[in-house]
Amino acid sequence: MMDSSSPQPIALALTGLVKRFGPKIAVDNLHLRVRSGCLFGLVGPNGAGKTTTLSMATGLLRPDAGQAVVLGHDVWSDPAAAKALIGVLPDGMRLFDRLTGAELLRYVGLLRRVPLSDIVSRSTELLEALGLAADASTLVVEYSAGMTKKIGLACALIHAPRLIILDEPFESVDPVSGEHIRAILRGYVNSGGTVVLSSHVMELVESLCDELAVVAEGRVVAAGTLDQVRAGSSLQQRFLDLVGYTAAAEEALSWLRSSSGSS
Amino acid sequence: MVAIIVRLKLTLLRNALRRSVWRMVGLIFGLVYALGVVLMAVVGLIALRWTSIELTADVTVLAFALLTLGWLLLSLLVFGIDETIDPSRFALLPVRARDIMPGLLVSGLVGSTGIATALVAFGLVLTWARTPAPAMAAVVVLPIGVATCFLLSRAGTAAFSSVLSSRRFRDFAFVGLALLGMSIGIGANLIGALVGSDFQGLRVVLAKVAAAAGWSPFGWAWAVPADVAQGRWLVAGLRLVLAVGFAVVLWLVWQHYLDRRLTEPVEASRRTGRIRGGTVIERLYPATPAGGVAARTLRYWRRDPRYVAGIAGFLIGPVILMVVQVSNPGGQRLVAAFAPAVLCWLLGSSLAQDLSYDGSALWLHATTGMRGADDRVGRVLSTLTVFAPLVVLLIIAALVVSGDWTLWVSVVAVSVTLGLTSLGVGSYVGSLWQWPAPPPGSNPFAKGQSGGLPALAAFGVTSFATLVLSLPTVALVIASAWYGALAWLALAVGIVVGLIVLWQGIVRGGAMLDRRWPEVLSAVSER
Repeated sequence: MMDSSSPQPIALALTGLVKRFGPKIAVDNLHLRVRSGCLFGLVGPNGAGKTTTLSMATGLLRPDAGQAVVLGHDVWSDPAAAKALIGVLPDGMRLFDRLTGAELLRYVGLLRRVPLSDIVSRSTELLEALGLAADASTLVVEYSAGMTKKIGLACALIHAPRLIILDEPFESVDPVSGEHIRAILRGYVNSGGTVVLSSHVMELVESLCDELAVVAEGRVVAAGTLDQVRAGSSLQQRFLDLVGYTAAAEEALSWLRSSSGSS
Repeated sequence: MVAIIVRLKLTLLRNALRRSVWRMVGLIFGLVYALGVVLMAVVGLIALRWTSIELTADVTVLAFALLTLGWLLLSLLVFGIDETIDPSRFALLPVRARDIMPGLLVSGLVGSTGIATALVAFGLVLTWARTPAPAMAAVVVLPIGVATCFLLSRAGTAAFSSVLSSRRFRDFAFVGLALLGMSIGIGANLIGALVGSDFQGLRVVLAKVAAAAGWSPFGWAWAVPADVAQGRWLVAGLRLVLAVGFAVVLWLVWQHYLDRRLTEPVEASRRTGRIRGGTVIERLYPATPAGGVAARTLRYWRRDPRYVAGIAGFLIGPVILMVVQVSNPGGQRLVAAFAPAVLCWLLGSSLAQDLSYDGSALWLHATTGMRGADDRVGRVLSTLTVFAPLVVLLIIAALVVSGDWTLWVSVVAVSVTLGLTSLGVGSYVGSLWQWPAPPPGSNPFAKGQSGGLPALAAFGVTSFATLVLSLPTVALVIASAWYGALAWLALAVGIVVGLIVLWQGIVRGGAMLDRRWPEVLSAVSER
């Protein structure tokens, strides 16, 4: 799986993506290649353009320039074929939350043209695996933030996609469920699937991903295998170097220190 | 604190206007409209100076009591309250309710409704400025009355929404308020018919109603200048005390709920339990993308209060029409027979706002690569499932009420052509433009729950285009009054034209969605 000598097909190729919001350039000529069968992490500080990039790769946001190609199908010129291959979990978007968990999965399955018998068996398995079986007939609007993330993940998986794109999949998920999700993603990648996930938790990316890219100010500033990007130091330190972190001066926020406080 | 909060409100308003052209247009429309109403009211109040003191007293007391009641009812039923400054946002700051209440009061009045009310109330001073005493009294009650208007809307909605904080109650409340609106409409119509028949009775009725209004909490403050003008000093004093007392009570009620909101800002109690598994809905439609959309939207017609309120809203018009025409001795039975057509005519407007109601959840439709036409077909199917039985029942009721069964061909022709055309036009308009709508279950009394100007525009365009496209059928039905056989031709033409429009609406609307999913998504989620 980690053998990079045998050339594997590219699951996701982003070429020269550009997105502007008014005067602000959110994504600035971004290039990225993700091999098939790879668990790929996209890391970057807040506002680096991670979500914008993933939105353009999944057909949610039209790029101003550039291409997004999924397993040979262009997301923007051949959307139906490309979208059939992707499973998506966006961040910060609502679900059809007046449906129960089971109804939502069935709905996604129908939209994805999954055969009815498969929808039934797969949703039972997914709900079981993600620890949602007991809440299958509770409205999604009443789910906690972590449960909502998990049902969203189930929605991304139900049509057995070749590539899954997850925006902050571990946010507000408890450690136990997090471990379940890791196991699911690992198993999926080992069987030849491809995962692209974004995160800003370095430890998580370090322990889970095969390859990663660091994004800052809408550009890829480093990409490759974990060891290539780390280049000898810790990922955390390397990341801080790449995005240009400088420690605050000694006297900054001095009023906040209770020892020197006047009141 | 007052200055800070008022400045905050103005800043928020300015930023909101910068972000959205719709809001700017809405504000300008609102201002022009408010200006017109204020001008008319003030001119009317000044004109009262040339009438008797008694007439002025009755008219002003009744009008201002209604204005005050309107603040309460309209904020509960129609507009909601202006939550530009949401008190729960202060929850993390070290302030108590009483610290921010003066600021919220003033900033709440800084807006077209508040300013308009204050200006109209100033008209009361103008109309009583005949002798110094009542003019002085009017000046005194002006701030009390205006503050009462505002406090009523705040205390009323706060009390109501705390009762309704659970989702289930909220759903009921929506229907209940819609029914209340319906009965007010019918009641007003009946009173109008009653009074209109006897002009002399009008003056007597006015005096009685005004007297009642003057002794209701809504009229206490406004009746004081009238009492002074008529030399009833004792009554004036009593009402002034009552008015001040009422305002103080409202202030305390508002403070109570505000304090609660500052400590428990999270609304909506969670956990209403499991949903009984209904597989009926799933078996109703085929297991296709369109069938999935139909089943999902049908569930929303039941579970999303905005849709539940929609059903009630659509039924109000035809029911009022039928009740009024039948209960009136001079009513037109013919009009009652065609009342179901009004419901059919409105059907498409729900399709026109469906996508906006779905909000950012539409990412699912955008990423699955489903065909836009499937989305359109599904929504048409569920709308038909909800309304087709209602239309049939309404047609039967209308024919019974009108007592003329021979009209059935014409009624069915008009209803079918309007219904199908409306669904087609709605399918197209719905994909044409969308706007950000508040999510289901957000504070039902917050402003903009109804979607504001873009929703109104979508409604207007849909119903106008529907009417134009249905004209051939309607013309044939009118002509059938002379040549009865034309009704059958109208039925045939109505079905054919309706189906063509529906088909075209689905195909063209769907194709537009296929091209524009990302744009739709950004339109519904833009804030």
